[in-house]
Amino acid sequence: MSIDPVTLQVIGGALHTIAKEMAYVLYRMSFSSIIRESEDLGAGLFNRDFATLCESDNTPLHIGSIPGYLRGIDASMTTPWREGDVVIHNHPYFGASHSPDIAVVVPVFFEGRHVGFAANTAHHVDIGSATPGLIVDIQDIFGEGMLLKAVKLVEGGVRNETVWNYLRNNSRVGKQLQDDLGAQIASAELGARRFQELYATYGAATVEEASAELMNYTERMLRRKIAEIPDGDYYAESWLDDDGRNRNVRLPIKVCVRIRGDEAEVDLTGSSPQVPTAFNVPFEGSTKVACYVAFRSLLLDAATSAVPVPANEGSFRPIKVTAPKGTIFNPIFPTAASARFSQCNRMIDCIIRALSPVLPETSIAGSSASLSFVAYSGLRQSGDYWVFIEVNEGAYGGRPRSDGPDSIDNLMANTRNNPIEDLGMHLPMICDRYELRDDVECGAGRFRGGIGVVKEQRLLEGGWMTHEAERHTDAPWGLFGGHEGAPGRVDIFNHADPIGTAEAQHAKISGVVMKPGDTMAFYSPCGGGFGDPLERPADRVLDDVLDGFCSRAYAERAYGVVIDERLTLDSDATAAKRAAMVAAR
Amino acid sequence: MASIGVDVGGTFTDLVLERDDDGPGGRRVFVHKVPSTPSDQSIGVVAGILAICRIAGLDPKAVRRVVHGTTVATNITIEKNGAEVGMLTTRGFRDLLHIARHKRPHNFSLHFDVPWQSSPLVKRRNRMPITERIMPPDGRIETPIDLDEVRAAARELKARGVEAVIVCFLFSFLNDAHERAALEILREEMPDAFISGSSEVANVIREFERFSTTAMNAYVGPRTARYLRNLETRLASEGVDAELRIMQSNGGIGTVATCSERPVTILMSGPAGGVIGGRWAGAMSDVDNVITIDIGGTSADIGVIADGNIRIMNPRDTVVGEHPVLAPMLDLDTIGAGGGSIAFRDEGGAFRVGPRSAGAAPGPACYGKGGTEPTVTDAHVVLGRLDPERFLGGDMAIDPALAERAVREKIAEPFGMSLIEAALGIVTIVNANMALAIRSNSVARGFDPRRFSLMPFGGAGPLHGVALAEAVSAKDVIVPPAPGITAAMGLLATRLAYEFTRSTPTLISGPAAGPFEAANATLEDLAALAAERLAADGIETAAHKFERVAECRYQGQGFELRTPLPDGPITAETASAIADAFHAVHERDYGYRFDDAVIEIVTLRVIGFAEVPPLTWPELPDATSSDLSHALLYVRPTTFDDGKTVETPRYDRDKLAAGHVVPGPAIIQQHNSTTLVPPGFTARVHRSGNIHIAREVTA
Repeated sequence: MSIDPVTLQVIGGALHTIAKEMAYVLYRMSFSSIIRESEDLGAGLFNRDFATLCESDNTPLHIGSIPGYLRGIDASMTTPWREGDVVIHNHPYFGASHSPDIAVVVPVFFEGRHVGFAANTAHHVDIGSATPGLIVDIQDIFGEGMLLKAVKLVEGGVRNETVWNYLRNNSRVGKQLQDDLGAQIASAELGARRFQELYATYGAATVEEASAELMNYTERMLRRKIAEIPDGDYYAESWLDDDGRNRNVRLPIKVCVRIRGDEAEVDLTGSSPQVPTAFNVPFEGSTKVACYVAFRSLLLDAATSAVPVPANEGSFRPIKVTAPKGTIFNPIFPTAASARFSQCNRMIDCIIRALSPVLPETSIAGSSASLSFVAYSGLRQSGDYWVFIEVNEGAYGGRPRSDGPDSIDNLMANTRNNPIEDLGMHLPMICDRYELRDDVECGAGRFRGGIGVVKEQRLLEGGWMTHEAERHTDAPWGLFGGHEGAPGRVDIFNHADPIGTAEAQHAKISGVVMKPGDTMAFYSPCGGGFGDPLERPADRVLDDVLDGFCSRAYAERAYGVVIDERLTLDSDATAAKRAAMVAAR
Repeated sequence: MASIGVDVGGTFTDLVLERDDDGPGGRRVFVHKVPSTPSDQSIGVVAGILAICRIAGLDPKAVRRVVHGTTVATNITIEKNGAEVGMLTTRGFRDLLHIARHKRPHNFSLHFDVPWQSSPLVKRRNRMPITERIMPPDGRIETPIDLDEVRAAARELKARGVEAVIVCFLFSFLNDAHERAALEILREEMPDAFISGSSEVANVIREFERFSTTAMNAYVGPRTARYLRNLETRLASEGVDAELRIMQSNGGIGTVATCSERPVTILMSGPAGGVIGGRWAGAMSDVDNVITIDIGGTSADIGVIADGNIRIMNPRDTVVGEHPVLAPMLDLDTIGAGGGSIAFRDEGGAFRVGPRSAGAAPGPACYGKGGTEPTVTDAHVVLGRLDPERFLGGDMAIDPALAERAVREKIAEPFGMSLIEAALGIVTIVNANMALAIRSNSVARGFDPRRFSLMPFGGAGPLHGVALAEAVSAKDVIVPPAPGITAAMGLLATRLAYEFTRSTPTLISGPAAGPFEAANATLEDLAALAAERLAADGIETAAHKFERVAECRYQGQGFELRTPLPDGPITAETASAIADAFHAVHERDYGYRFDDAVIEIVTLRVIGFAEVPPLTWPELPDATSSDLSHALLYVRPTTFDDGKTVETPRYDRDKLAAGHVVPGPAIIQQHNSTTLVPPGFTARVHRSGNIHIAREVTA
């Protein structure tokens, strides 16, 4: 490299700060909870060739997806880029991650020359899809709502009021859509200003060289880690419940990880053909990004690495992703492809499992590896819609040195929940329960699997509900002797008679009519255990019992730990029980 | 009579004593440092107070007031040795503290720790669900509280020996009847325990943050209260019967009684003194736009004072030990960059400085205590900016050869640089990190640094001042009189302040604006609470002052911004003024406003305060001539940031008088601190004792 290491660090820091600032403005200002609380967004600066200069680190799935949008926009433009343009775009077959993630792009000009772009993406609550907020069971991509392909919202500094008018009137929550776009524009314009300041301070060549080197750096770090894995083909497979329409037809996920030197290929051949609902994954914007998330998490673990490695496209280069056209991971237009998160998370879980024989100190047991995305909606007395999207968490599998975290967003998801009190003040909904699951006992191990949550949301005035989730039929696996976790579960009942009216549901349900008092109870899958439960120290099992993470009966049955009625440890009985369990193997 | 400020740091306890009885109208100021006593801070504090009284020739009985900046509560959160806490909470929501906001600390990690699960403030076994239900949006009771359950839980927790219990019910900010009922039973059943309710500690919307704050208060409560009471007793037994006051995180001081009850308000007691000290020092030069940077061994704290006002952090950002704490805190940005930050080449070949630090042990390589990795301090030594024989006023020996070896072996050779290039690289990178943090605390929040003076302090601050001011385009640099103990000075330069908040959601614009009765009633209640607290401190009603703030947002947003409230009740007319003020704040902070969006007050806040006469630093005598030779120590080669090495004079700051002008290149030395004046810059000694450094204006 020709850039000196000191300048590289200085510019690297400046770029990192700009991306952070852009994201900060976006989520602090925005209106829908999916952006402001969940931080389902990405922001950054890009050069004229769409290469990333910097990117914010908010939600893993957004990292690295913006260049695809930029290429898609550039290929679809009907008028050339002009200073003062603001362009929006969400076409999944032209680079978008999925249609609710709308990109706002501002071209940046420096000394009269078009030098690059400031851009961000954010998940919008409703783009006029077939069912409010979320969609699973629909005909094709046109059921997803507005398809925006390189649309100029502002052209040469002049707002295109006709387009704004169109947008406002084609979403169930038009005002929110409009104001969230306002927040995105503020963020992109801020980025554009910072971009110009940066070029003015350091010069275009130095900045571009620095950003290229930062990507090389991330690439180099990842290659070193891949090279430490023995060459070979590593396999794992798993099953998805169904496509959200054709019940009881399980869909296979097959993963082959090929390690060759310092390169890796994820081959998804053999996974399910594309499905007729929206339960497909856009290849460029989601399938590939998910593979990168898997390798970054496994090999450049932010918690155990001595230094932070910048999150950028450099982490994509050593990894090849193969998914045949017409499959669930690479659908063909006009197939719908909006409900794509759970498949990505399951694929990541499979990659970890495939590599576990050669990465025993790094791999973890099966996590919930799905996502619960719920759209609640209804009509206000004024006749206006309200739409609220909630992301429910899962739990991690047990790990080589620690228990799997409970009740937390996992793998590719990393959002914040919505304060129950804030919701209750503004929407005709009330949360009746939000705590760890107590209906299952599972995940025993030297390090136990994480426990999922149960969350009950009651619709006070009724309305509609769509749920995109997974893993009602296939529990997360245990690893190296750990026991398996528990599958997820959804019930709907009425508050007036919770037991008498309860009905079990599929994980994916579309446009369910909710009566006043109808309540959805979501139970997230629980993680598998890691290592032999008999090796878990008895006093830790006692702690688990005291804290109610585990019952006395399960402690004895799964761990061989005997705890008496006064909740004290019976060491002699435990030793005998454990010896008997070993002997019986 | 005298006042003492005593600030406890990791290594030293700094003291300032001001006498106002020394001769006719004579005020005198004394400063002192004693070693800190980490196992029990009060030992060092008392020893320091007695020592500084001796230095000042003062009977300890004559001390009227002691203001204390303490890290005792903060250390409990770091060492994780707080109280065993019990919790009564709404049935169905036992695990809100365990779930938190369900967000992981890292995006890309499988082996991350989840601190609120691995070291919870309240263990799950001690979280007792209670049947009760209050409903939004009006606070009506859907399910009455089961008081038998409360009593049974209280007895169970008592039997377990729990020393603190909190009551955290959903929607208690709308209706605290259930929390009050439970608290009454707890106080009856457990008279000796530390008992508090979430509506008492942080009466605001958002359950997790409110509960976390309440839990943190109880976690640090018993020990902090014991410490403060011990200190009071210990001082009394040494004959010091001064009133003891504690610096709170919001920059105001509070009494032992209030801080013992709400220790959550003193978690940032230490760094708050620095910002207040910065404001005080700026005011001495009539400068009220100041960016402070307090550079210590492992970290640097950055604060912004605009128009003489300290800024309070957004409650969404106040986190202590990864637990959100809704207590007002000065807006401080802390970054892992300081004199002890280690420079290294990472496995990917990048040049890194920090956040790892050599700390006090082994410390920088030049300390000769076994450190072999080069630090920022070592880089300065290599560049000839820190003279070995005068390091810490000559109190500590350092070895430049060790600094050189560390920089050479760990940086210069691996990167193929010269020794000087490597040392400059270390300084450049650490300065860039600090400059970025300054920018994100100023430019990114809508403050133009060109209007601000940069004030570096902490021992290492004035070495970096000019470089940082240049990097962020600050107007100039002001080096306060005793940079090493600025935080202690701040303790004698602030006011009594008590802050009360309550969420009272109210629309203030749009067709559905109002009614304002509830908000006005809240404001009156909060003002009454603040007045009661001030009165209890012996402040006459006439001296009570109030500042009122509304935390507002556009309806539908999730983050509020502080908006000042005009005097008097909120009415239709003042509501539009408040709305205008909010639009302006939003535009300043984010660069954008939504003119047609409805504005909502979420939380109201009243700060009751009373002024305390601030520390008066003795003015310097006027210089009798411009000649500096009496202050000149010696001349030595020094390398500046432009890479040029020039013969550079060293001046003794104690011998500089008001009006002296020191042209760069120069180094101004004093005990504990070294000020760098690069070529092209000029230092001017202000009458107040401040030194102003600015780029030389060439005609």
